[in-house]
Amino acid sequence: MTEINDREIQLDRMRYVKNTASSRLCYLAILMNVLYFVSIYKSDVGSWYYQMLTGASIVYNLLFMLMAFLASEGVKNYQPNYSFLLYGLGAGQIARVFILPLQAHQALVKVGSEETRVMGDGQFIRVVLYLGISAACLLAAALINQRKCAALSGHLKALEAKEAA
Amino acid sequence: MAELSLQHIDKIYDNNVQAVFDFNLDVKDGELIVLVGPSGCGKSTTLRMVAGLEDISRGKLTLDGRDITQTPAKDRDMAMVFQNYALYGHMTIYENMAFSLTLRKENPNVIHKKVLAAAEILGLTSQLNKKPAQLSGGQRQRVAMGRSIVRNPKVFLFDEPLSNLDAKLRGATRREILLLHKRLQATMLYVTHDQTEALTLADRIVCMSMGHVQQVGTPLELYDQPANLFVAGFIGLPPMNTWNTAVREGYLEGPGFTCPLTEAERGILAPYAGKEIVLGVRPENIALGEDVTLQVTDNENLGMNTLVYGHVGTGQRISAKLKGWMEYRGGDQVGLSFRRKHFFDKDTTNAIR
Repeated sequence: MTEINDREIQLDRMRYVKNTASSRLCYLAILMNVLYFVSIYKSDVGSWYYQMLTGASIVYNLLFMLMAFLASEGVKNYQPNYSFLLYGLGAGQIARVFILPLQAHQALVKVGSEETRVMGDGQFIRVVLYLGISAACLLAAALINQRKCAALSGHLKALEAKEAA
Repeated sequence: MAELSLQHIDKIYDNNVQAVFDFNLDVKDGELIVLVGPSGCGKSTTLRMVAGLEDISRGKLTLDGRDITQTPAKDRDMAMVFQNYALYGHMTIYENMAFSLTLRKENPNVIHKKVLAAAEILGLTSQLNKKPAQLSGGQRQRVAMGRSIVRNPKVFLFDEPLSNLDAKLRGATRREILLLHKRLQATMLYVTHDQTEALTLADRIVCMSMGHVQQVGTPLELYDQPANLFVAGFIGLPPMNTWNTAVREGYLEGPGFTCPLTEAERGILAPYAGKEIVLGVRPENIALGEDVTLQVTDNENLGMNTLVYGHVGTGQRISAKLKGWMEYRGGDQVGLSFRRKHFFDKDTTNAIR
């Protein structure tokens, strides 16, 4: 009985308390993305990064942070549609592992007479980790928001029905 | 249970300025005490000492028999409502009210229950998701009170909570505080310079001046039996009229007028025969009659009453609150009688009874 009562109160709290769990996960995802952004160009060998792909990556980084921040504000206020944006951004972060980091990790550049890998193993693991954590945070934030929105919506409907009765 | 006792409390600042002198008061459980007095009389300093926001220079403060003179403010189990509300602008009303409990790391479900209960009492349930800037002054003050209620403190302290509100809102919020007190039955200390607030709210009033307690008593006691000239002048609106008079055989001789005394008044003033005393008469204790003549200067019609201003004899300007709608012009002469007189010793300013 007490457990049921506690669950009721938790649901009712959502009417006044913001969804900070999802929004904080979004902030963490943005932070991880920043770490990725400042780490990836550390190993520029033979100006390998001077290409269109890098330019697109920089533009995407800015867009990503903008959208992730926007979504963090949306999920904070239990807006269910922002979960879809977060799912998309999370999938994007996973996809990004296979674009610039993987290519740089596989690329070989001649420095003098020796061939050198653009991105070493250590750095590759680090940037993959940053993107992975960022993606996990975004997907978790989206999932939590979706579940909370559904629960809150059900609770509000129940309250309305109770009031009407 | 929350019985507060202030014993021989003094407040002396570092620059040797003494703000409060030998303050003594026993507050009973569930009592609403109002500290009233003009600006700088030490009432807020006293309240801040009770709250623990100011050190007590000398004396003892006890709560339910426990000495809390040196206890830090956070451990005194008292909640204070300030004049400027002290709400966090970036937080919602719900978050503002829950803040102190959140800091104490209380169970969120318990916090929720307490906040909703307080909001229900104060009629703030529909405002919980708003920010303070979206509320009116009265509503903000209610939020400040709600923040105190959720803590369920032993003593509520109010430091001029209605001063920032306009007259209409002040009246409404004053009634809400009174209802709140009746509902919670909590011990409350309330500071104000507004005598109307003091008279309408208090179980007992502490009237202060220059750091000294002038009188402690029920509102009626302070109004009807003021201990001295200061209390007589401070309580009541318009203030009590006073004249320096000499006690003669069966009458008082004022500046340019005489006023007959009743048998009982003669008995009271017998020890002062031939001496000078201060005669005090409240404007509402003056009626049309034949004892003295008022030289009218102007009048104000208030609907049910008329405030007539003028001079009796050659004394200073006085006011009389006469029943009904009267039309007087400057220079008119009106016969008046004093229905209730107060007498004060001219040297000590204490009441003569």
